[in-house]
Amino acid sequence: MDPVTLAIHATPAFVASAVEFVEATTIVLAVGVTRGWRAPLIGTLAATATLAVIIATLGVAIVTIVPELLLKGVVGALLLLFGLRWLRKAVLRFAGIVAVHDEELIYQRELAALRAQGLARREFDWIGFLVAYKAVLLEGTEVAFIVIAFGAAGGTALTAATVGAIAAGIFVIALGAALRQPLTMVPENWLKFGVGAMLCSFGVFWFAEALGMQWPGDALSIPLIVLTFLAASWLAVRMLKALLPEGAQIEARNV
Amino acid sequence: MFKGIWSTLVGLLVEDGQLAIGALAALAITWALANAGGDFARQLIGWLLLILVLMLVVANLYRAGVTARARVSSARR
Repeated sequence: MDPVTLAIHATPAFVASAVEFVEATTIVLAVGVTRGWRAPLIGTLAATATLAVIIATLGVAIVTIVPELLLKGVVGALLLLFGLRWLRKAVLRFAGIVAVHDEELIYQRELAALRAQGLARREFDWIGFLVAYKAVLLEGTEVAFIVIAFGAAGGTALTAATVGAIAAGIFVIALGAALRQPLTMVPENWLKFGVGAMLCSFGVFWFAEALGMQWPGDALSIPLIVLTFLAASWLAVRMLKALLPEGAQIEARNV
Repeated sequence: MFKGIWSTLVGLLVEDGQLAIGALAALAITWALANAGGDFARQLIGWLLLILVLMLVVANLYRAGVTARARVSSARR
C-alpha cells in the first residue's frame, strides 16, 4: 500500500482514536502535574502493554479466523450501535441538552481529587499508577474497539486502522507533553459528530454487504451514506433547538 | 478494575436502551428481508437499513428533546 492510500484509509481510525487519547491524556497530565511523573508514566506503559496484548490476541484472531462475511455482519452491527451512541450524544451536546465535554473542568476535578489523596514521598505512588493505568486502559479499550472495527475487512484495513490509531496516540501525547495542560483546543464534539456519522455509515455498509448487497460503486457509496447521516443529524440539532424554549439551552444543560 | 472495563464495554454500545433495541430491531428486519426476499430485495436492504436507522435516530432525539423541554418548563415554574 502506498503512503497516500495508507493515509486515506488510516484517517477514520486516526480521528476516532484521537478523541479517546485526548481524554486519557487529560487524566495522565493531571496525575503527573500533582503527584510526579514516574508512577503515571509507568501506569501508562503498563496499560499500553495490556492493550497491545488485547489487540494482538483478540483483534488479529477475530480478523484472521472468523469468515469475512460473518465478521463484516457482526462488526457492522457493533459499529452501528457504537456509532449511534456517539452521534446521539454529539447531537444532544450541539443542541444544548447535554453539557459539552469540558477537558479543563475534568482536569481541575482530577487535580483536586488527587491532591486530596496526599503523597508519601519515598514510596512508589500506587494511586498515581492506578489512576493513569485505569484511564489509559479504559480509553484504550475504546481505541482497540475502533481499530478492530475499522480493520474488520482484514489485511490492509487492519494495518491502516492500527497505523491511524498509533499516529493519533503519538500526535496527542506529543501535544500533551509539549503543552503540559489539558487539550481544550481539540474540538471534541465536532470530532465525535463526524466520527459517529462515519462509524454508523461503515456499520450500515458492512452489515448490508454481509447480507449479500452490492453497493453501487462499492466503497464509493460510503461518503454518500456519511453525508446522509450528517445531514439528518444536523436537521435533528435544528429540530431540538426549535423544541426547547427560547434561551433554555443553558438551563437544559443541567437537565 | 474488571467491573470498570466491563461497564465501559457495555457502555460502548448501549447508552440509551431504547436506541440500542431500535437499532437491533432495524438490523433484524433487514436480515429477515435479505433472507426472505430474492436478489432484488437483497440489493435494496442497505438503503432500507439506512432509512430505518435515520428514522430511529430522529425519533429518539425528538423524544429526548420533548423530555428536556418538559423538564425545563417544570424547572421554570
